[in-house]
Amino acid sequence: MSLVLAGRIVPLSRDTKVARSETASFQGKVWIGDDGRIAAVTKGTRGSRQDPAGFETAPVVDAGNDLVVPGFIDLHSHLAYATLPLWVEPGRTEPFLHHNTWPTRPTYPESITWPAYAFIEAAPAELLAYAEIRALIGGTTSIQGSPPSNRPLDGWLVRNIEDETLRGEVGRHQILASTLTLKSEQLGERATRMRQGATFIYHCAEGRPGSIAQREYLATRTAGCLQRELVAIHTNAVDPAAYGTWQEPGAIVWSPFSNLWLYGTTTDVPAALARGITLCVGSDWGPSGTRNVLGELKVASLVSEAKGWGLAPLDLVKMITANPGDVLARAWQRQAGRLQPGALGDVAVIAAGAKGGARGDPFKTILHATEADVRLVVVDGRPLYGTKELMEQAGATRTSEISLGGQPCRLALTRFDAARQPWSFKDILKRLEEVRDDPKTAIENSRRRAFAAVRAGGAPPLRLALDMPTGRVPVGGLPKNLGTIVVPPIQPLMHERAFFSSIPGRGFHGGLLDGLADFYA
Amino acid sequence: MADMTARGASAKLLEAQTGQLLSEFLLRVPQPGRRTKQAGAKTAAKGAAAALAEHAYVLDGGERLQIIDALMTVIGGAYCHLIQKRAAYALDPVQALQLLRSRVAGLSEGEFHLALTSIVAGLRDAHTRYTGPRAGQGAVATLPFLVEQYGPHGNPTFVVSKVSAPALIRDTKFVAGVVLESWNSIPFARAVDLYSDRETGGRPDARRARALESLTFRALECGPPPDEMMVDIGYRTSPGSALREVRIPWRVVCPAKAETSQRPGSRASRYIAANPAAEAVRRGKKLMFSGNVWQAERSGAAAVAREKGWIETRFQDTLAARTVKTHTAGDLAYLRIWSFDVDDDDAFIAEVIRLLDLLPDTGLILDLRGNPGGLIWAAERLLQLFTPNAITPARFSLLATPLTRAMARSPFNRMEFEAWLPSLEAAIATGEPYSQPLPLTDPAWCNDTGQRYSGPVVCVTDPNTYSAGDLFAAGFVDNEIGTLVCVGEASGAGGANVWTHYDLREALVDTPFALGELPADAGYTIAIRRALRSGAADGLPIEDLGIPGIPYEMTLDDLLHENQDLIRFCSGLLAGISRTTMKVDVGDSTVTVTTTGLDELETYADGRPLEAVRRISDGIQQLPRPDAQMIEFVGRRRGEIRQRRRVLLRGAGG
Repeated sequence: MSLVLAGRIVPLSRDTKVARSETASFQGKVWIGDDGRIAAVTKGTRGSRQDPAGFETAPVVDAGNDLVVPGFIDLHSHLAYATLPLWVEPGRTEPFLHHNTWPTRPTYPESITWPAYAFIEAAPAELLAYAEIRALIGGTTSIQGSPPSNRPLDGWLVRNIEDETLRGEVGRHQILASTLTLKSEQLGERATRMRQGATFIYHCAEGRPGSIAQREYLATRTAGCLQRELVAIHTNAVDPAAYGTWQEPGAIVWSPFSNLWLYGTTTDVPAALARGITLCVGSDWGPSGTRNVLGELKVASLVSEAKGWGLAPLDLVKMITANPGDVLARAWQRQAGRLQPGALGDVAVIAAGAKGGARGDPFKTILHATEADVRLVVVDGRPLYGTKELMEQAGATRTSEISLGGQPCRLALTRFDAARQPWSFKDILKRLEEVRDDPKTAIENSRRRAFAAVRAGGAPPLRLALDMPTGRVPVGGLPKNLGTIVVPPIQPLMHERAFFSSIPGRGFHGGLLDGLADFYA
Repeated sequence: MADMTARGASAKLLEAQTGQLLSEFLLRVPQPGRRTKQAGAKTAAKGAAAALAEHAYVLDGGERLQIIDALMTVIGGAYCHLIQKRAAYALDPVQALQLLRSRVAGLSEGEFHLALTSIVAGLRDAHTRYTGPRAGQGAVATLPFLVEQYGPHGNPTFVVSKVSAPALIRDTKFVAGVVLESWNSIPFARAVDLYSDRETGGRPDARRARALESLTFRALECGPPPDEMMVDIGYRTSPGSALREVRIPWRVVCPAKAETSQRPGSRASRYIAANPAAEAVRRGKKLMFSGNVWQAERSGAAAVAREKGWIETRFQDTLAARTVKTHTAGDLAYLRIWSFDVDDDDAFIAEVIRLLDLLPDTGLILDLRGNPGGLIWAAERLLQLFTPNAITPARFSLLATPLTRAMARSPFNRMEFEAWLPSLEAAIATGEPYSQPLPLTDPAWCNDTGQRYSGPVVCVTDPNTYSAGDLFAAGFVDNEIGTLVCVGEASGAGGANVWTHYDLREALVDTPFALGELPADAGYTIAIRRALRSGAADGLPIEDLGIPGIPYEMTLDDLLHENQDLIRFCSGLLAGISRTTMKVDVGDSTVTVTTTGLDELETYADGRPLEAVRRISDGIQQLPRPDAQMIEFVGRRRGEIRQRRRVLLRGAGG
């Protein structure tokens, strides 16, 4: 389905036919063709000779002065843990040293592994839907960190970066990822895959500077993985001088909230930028992250300001649009994160009424935007979420209402296993709450159903796996009595008061993250 | 009215015990899959033999290769006893499968299945079985009598120990106690030996025991049907009496599973150690020889007693308890554990505790003869009830191969195998053939309840005590709980955790060893994690060795009169052990401890000492109820810990 979006276009384009510079913005239109690609980006809101052919019957969304921007890209998350609240080890007064220390804490499995397992086992499709909707309402159109699954996840809601095939244009494993530290042999294999064109997103050297985790960066180097196609997540344990060994710099995903929450320090962004490394921002996971990358952007701004790094709103916005878009373009051979002809038709509409104003710096507007300012989100040319008005204008079908902070919006979601059946967030939440109420029964019933389905000769149901460390768990990974699993309340989709009030005095950020609430005041 | 109901119940039971003739079963049962040929007038005209051939599911060459390739993958890459079996029986099942693969298309259907079954049966492992295309889910072919032996292994006497409904055998002289002379005109001992050769079991005594167990009961979902449709039995009503002969047809019954048994797809299904064929046979025997109990179970009765004198229990399928009177030791407790086939080990253990409370604490005979295994957690966690000391469970290792490494690395198996992965990967450099052995029952779970029985305990096993039964026997010996008595050389020697094709298929998803669906319901079970003993026998495998105990030979009186000589023998063993007891009662404000035979008492609250060690003599000790979650008492006799009780206080007592 083709679609035209009219509004104040913030293309972040390097195509000079679209805009002279990345900083440009103008009233205009984005034309997305049936193939889900951007056919044209034109200036002016009236028809002109520049308008591409074939859009005569296309729905037109009139966003007025609102910003039409590239959909946001979250290059670091863990969808399986999205429902969980922020976690701290009770009584701990010292920051963790590195990523192998916190999973060994006694409360880790009961707080994180087992609740996540309950959902992943008993309600995998609902869990995915919840996590993706949470990303979507923050303007995210592509997300990394999908749980390993027994069937492809692409083409459903937001783009699952590891699984995305662009309607079959690219191979399924063109983007590789690993949360867990790999052995040298496995890293060597990844180095070879990168030389063959794959992109590798790798959790690397996560911890405090000087900790043993920095060896992971060295191991990555000796295995030959320091290539342009490497996307290293965190690297906050790395001695900044070591970035110099990345001869053909790739990218780093920066998750400042998580870093500060767990370790009290974060990635040396200026050092990485000085080396020419591309910086992206990722929201990480529920237990130590923000709820979407739009929230994480504000944390990045807070850190930049506190440390005097001088990152401008444009620099920051590029970290969730153009920069990760360029990274993905290497693997997909299709531009993402920029609005220009040939690029993916992934677009967000952000209210201009947010701080920054209709005529102000659009990047400042984006930086300050919250979920309430996200007016429309389009993935692959499909309108998936937005205000009732814009969704109707976009011709969205099979929608259901979703109310966020009292603001009624529409969600175009269909069931994972039945593409034509609408699925509401209310139904999703209901099932998740059922699992939460009685995880034991839900887990046991789910296993039996899976067994029965396979015995009956049917296709195995959707199966997901946890991608984070399991921690110190008994045999089989679960408590003896599944009835002892306590699933914490499912967190709201938006950043909200309870989230902000759970930040002061917890974690190891020294109060820096307290300022996040101000963006949402 | 009551008489009519009883008559109706009897008729229904007889109907279930009668089942259908094997010949009818093989002819009428629907065959699986698209290649089934329909019965019809044409078939009838050809006669029964032709009809059998018509109905047989014929695998094509591609389907045969699918089965062989799956077996080569799992036996070569995951079969945990592969190294041991190669050494013990000088065989190479993977090479044998490879050879079969090369000639598979030229074989008849019968030749193919025989060849494949022979390769797998050659492993002499009741855990590891191939089941071809079948229609016999849950069905058991039976002859309505049970054969047992007594006397020495080299010169046994075979007798009929039980007979099912008289209506099933049209010979009133053929009753329990007759001495068996021939089987289809073959001398009985020879017939048993011939059949033993087809059975699993590493030792000759184990093979014979298993052969006798299945001689008149064949689990059709685990193996081929009997060769003959009926059997001619030569027998004498007493030694030296005239030889008589009776012809008895094979019948097929469907004993179904108990409500408490392991449910497919449950969490417990990954922690099974059992001989599936023996479990099906056990259920068949229950239907045929304990029909009233079987029927009560099927009617949904909450609790059932086997017979007068036995305690009612809702776990009647797995447990039976009563008090037995003996000359040497007075009243003793007797607990038969028929099987560990339960889905909920917590409920199972709670029921054992309830039964123990109803039995005398003067001494206990735990009888595990014929126990084919079941849930490992149930067997290993049960041990703690009988000892004041901490239980160390058996440990299990995987074969270290590219397949097991891939399986352990798969994100879908992290919960299950993460703990095994480092040693599997290290094995590349260390050359270790196995992974590090780790328990399948977490040690904390093995000690979460603690001792509940005061008196001394004797455990009885036989070569049909298998798998989880072996694990219980191993734990009983290795944790020095009591004396093990064994009918035969040792327990059945099945030392592994067993998975099905479904389990492996699920675990190998997205690995280079992914398995597909097998044609026409063909399947297999396979030993996946190898059990190693603890304590003084630390590291010894159970497979093929079993757990030896004090030897005992069954007598005719045992077979015909409720094990009376065996119980006498066990009571003699119990009589020589000094007795101590401890009983704890929790009140609103006090805790009372009643002891005999102890001279010191230690008290702990939430794991910390609550008071100095008390010197005590027989009688009552009372102390204020502490503000704690749990209180624990440790009773010593001459320094040795003899009793230990752990009582939860929150919500307990008043």
